[in-house]
Amino acid sequence: MSDDRQVEQEDRQIIQRMASKDANALDAFYTRYGRVVFSFIFRIVGNRFDAEDVLSDVFWQVWQQSPRYDASRGKPVAWLLTIARTRAIDCLRSSSRQQLKTEEFDTQKDLAPSMREPDSFVLADTRQAVQDALGALPEQQRIPLEMAYFQGMSHTEIASALGQPLGTVKDRIRTGMLHLRKRLKPYI
Amino acid sequence: MKHSHLTNDLQEQASLYAAGAMTESERREYAHHLEDDRCEVCRAEVDELQAAMSIVAFSTPPVSPSPAVRERLMEQARAAATRSETKGSMPFLSRHWLELLTSLATVGAIVIALAATYSNGELRRVEADLRSRISQLEVQLARSENLVARVTSPDIRIVNLAGQGQNVQASGRVFWDQKQKHWFFYAKDLPQLTADKTYELWFVPKTGNPVRAVVFNTESNGSTQFDIDVPDGLDLRAAAVTTEPAGGTDEPTGAFALLGAM
Repeated sequence: MSDDRQVEQEDRQIIQRMASKDANALDAFYTRYGRVVFSFIFRIVGNRFDAEDVLSDVFWQVWQQSPRYDASRGKPVAWLLTIARTRAIDCLRSSSRQQLKTEEFDTQKDLAPSMREPDSFVLADTRQAVQDALGALPEQQRIPLEMAYFQGMSHTEIASALGQPLGTVKDRIRTGMLHLRKRLKPYI
Repeated sequence: MKHSHLTNDLQEQASLYAAGAMTESERREYAHHLEDDRCEVCRAEVDELQAAMSIVAFSTPPVSPSPAVRERLMEQARAAATRSETKGSMPFLSRHWLELLTSLATVGAIVIALAATYSNGELRRVEADLRSRISQLEVQLARSENLVARVTSPDIRIVNLAGQGQNVQASGRVFWDQKQKHWFFYAKDLPQLTADKTYELWFVPKTGNPVRAVVFNTESNGSTQFDIDVPDGLDLRAAAVTTEPAGGTDEPTGAFALLGAM
């Protein structure tokens, strides 16, 4: 069994244990993915305070919804990250301070360099593959995709922000997504 | 309506949905199509694209959350697991209590009769206790409502403070009422200090030296909250918390514990 399959199998077992209210299983899942989920949430919400609240909410939702996890719909980590994005975007949208948060994010990069740590995550290989795949996307596809995924902007908002026709933006998002799927197929 | 095969238009819709790029009404309508129409063609495409998109999360620079998040989460989960176990054992307990109650029914009637003579005084005491508790809760509620009203006011600007140095787990927040020249300051996960040390909050102006705001210590859980007025004439650049000798100093001398730009 490949490493990836092994990890996926273990994740499914951890979720089953969570469904039977084994708190140690939640601890194991958090140990495995807490950092990558936090990094992702932090990228979206832009400040540590909100990011930690959202992180806690995400893992609590996973704990509560573990009995309803549907294995046929994808890997546990994809499920986890989908929940994380939804929660983080909700947090971003619920705030009327979106602009302020963006500024804080930029500022805090300078204020707290100690928060940035070397990548020691077990899935560093996946990280590299994703960075390569994004790097290989033409900017005109990557930018609207990132605006949608990390900032929760709709296609109409993106078209307006970039000054491009709506049809062009939609087509670029589609093309970018298909490109990503092709490049990341071995990791899905 | 179920689709029989994937077209370019359907693929575009699936892509927009998976990327989170649909408008709210489109997203609702499409989710309805996936869930209620049970369209397997669109569902399969969305699942694959969502899986690809979800691992884009791995591209973000790694940052660690504070250990306090895990502690709180695990405490919450263990409490829930314990409640679940207790709930699971309820049928036995229920039967046990039912039997007990049946056999005690007669005794209970006697006890009630005896208690009736005693109950008037006791009930008055309980009533007084409850009234006192209600008053306390009303005060707490009024304080909470006041706090919510203040921090959600459109005049409030929120400044986040990040933990510095060894205190990466700590964080703080200033709710700055610029009209009233007032801060509500909140911090969490600060380490407890020894008796010869204290935390000191500073107003950091754009020009000139930091101005002492207040000296404080935290609760046993590392949190604190208080109000403070902002002096006139300060054009603020940042808020900072340093560790200082007990009693505080007029100028910062210790290490930064929290720092946040305005």
